[in-house]
Amino acid sequence: MDNTAKRLLQRLVRRIPSQMLKTTLDKWSRLTAAQRQSMDYTESKWALTEKLLAICEENELTVKHIAELEMIHVIENPNLGMWYVFQLMDPQDDAHSVELTQFKEQFKSHLSELIRHVSIKIKKHTDEAVWIRIAWGDTFSRPNHLKPTYVVHYLQTPYVFLTSPTSKQKPLLSQALVLSTRYQAIKDANLSGRKLTAIRDLLMKQYLQVFPTKFPSPLAERNCVVSNLHIEKEQAGSAANRHQMACEAFGDGILPQLQSAVYKLETKFRDHTNKTMTERDEPFKCVVKFASTNLLESLRHSASSGVASTPVTPLLSSVPLKGKNYFVITDNGPGPSSQMKPSQK
Amino acid sequence: MSLLKPFSKLPGLNTANILLVESEEQFQQSLADALVEETSVTVNVRLAKSLPLPMENDESRPRIDLVVFIINLTSELSFQSAEASLKYLDPGYFLGKVCFMVTNARNASSPAERLDAVRKLASSLHCPLLFAEDQTPDGVASATERLLTILKVAAGLVPIATALYVSNLTRCTLPLDIDLPSFD
Repeated sequence: MDNTAKRLLQRLVRRIPSQMLKTTLDKWSRLTAAQRQSMDYTESKWALTEKLLAICEENELTVKHIAELEMIHVIENPNLGMWYVFQLMDPQDDAHSVELTQFKEQFKSHLSELIRHVSIKIKKHTDEAVWIRIAWGDTFSRPNHLKPTYVVHYLQTPYVFLTSPTSKQKPLLSQALVLSTRYQAIKDANLSGRKLTAIRDLLMKQYLQVFPTKFPSPLAERNCVVSNLHIEKEQAGSAANRHQMACEAFGDGILPQLQSAVYKLETKFRDHTNKTMTERDEPFKCVVKFASTNLLESLRHSASSGVASTPVTPLLSSVPLKGKNYFVITDNGPGPSSQMKPSQK
Repeated sequence: MSLLKPFSKLPGLNTANILLVESEEQFQQSLADALVEETSVTVNVRLAKSLPLPMENDESRPRIDLVVFIINLTSELSFQSAEASLKYLDPGYFLGKVCFMVTNARNASSPAERLDAVRKLASSLHCPLLFAEDQTPDGVASATERLLTILKVAAGLVPIATALYVSNLTRCTLPLDIDLPSFD
């Protein structure tokens, strides 16, 4: 085993928690039954690494096999690391009938044409997601397995999820994706987050949607949550109204966990009490960032408790509606026109 | 303007009615659950976010004996909402039937100026100012006990004592050095 493989394996054993190591190694199925029996998972990580290195030497495993193991780990734990969403635009006629084998072949061939040394692994997960692991090299060096990029694509949807795309690799990756999925362009969807499952659920609306209705509940008892006959809420009507509007904007039940929303403002400064700033012609540039462990839950609560005025402002409700969490607000026209810088690739 | 009036309805037998006004609607729920546990008197609790109260409930609402404004000192919104609600009370309430309850006074993020402002407000209206701790069941229990004491007097259930008489003893007074800067 060469150095890269050793380092990759060491890093991997450090990252995977001991409880999960057994199941991950079993899924990998590159160890014989005897070797699996000999692993004692209560030992320290260092001891386990040494053991595993010895076994891999025995089996003559290469860096490609270790990369497989890493991929299995990442697929099982998609909620670590940052994911960025890109959207494919302008489908061609046969875009909707692209199926797995065709996509795999096309992607591999296009990307290998564009860049000489690249190592690609494609795997289909049980939930219809196609996972791609790419280790980048260039004309002179071998693929660097220590800094891979992961791409997740759901066939028949226009969404692609990437981890850590660098500016050099993005155009090549975009080109390969566009050609193999039979679309014409790809753009930044301005959505990013730590949890892949959360941003996927947000985009594909996999949470409870609430639709506007004039009569929210046919049974009056549904809205009564008072614990005791002697306790009565005076403003229960308006509280229920606020709750309904908050749920219409953000959804009901458990919401996907977004961590932040960033608004880049390029609007003119508006404050009657401050003449010096208002007189300037240039727009006042500032960035507003909302951060939370579960941002959508916080926004919904602020709307239903009255902290944020209802009906919910389009600035906030665009987050779940458009599935974005990065907005650029300029002064054109009424309301927030979130103009994206056209980043055509 | 729909003012809440103190004596426009008949009282109930052995009943005390309390109105808890809190912008955040958190502490009032746990206080309400503890207040209704009282056995010697029937306590009815009405919860509101702010005044004025909706007109639809006017008919069914009993006579309110005590109005408590709960202010969270870490939130400016809470204070402003309570202040804005005051003008929807008939002046008759300020003769011992209004009380201010303040939470998070020891919290490092509540500015001293806000507590001073609340003190000035309470003393200008001749109302008692109570401090409460809302995070633990013990805190809720002791706040409930103190409220019940004032409530029973305000509802006329304590012989010899009236709300006005007791308010003279319990009202908030300003310390003489309130306008001097503190040592922080």
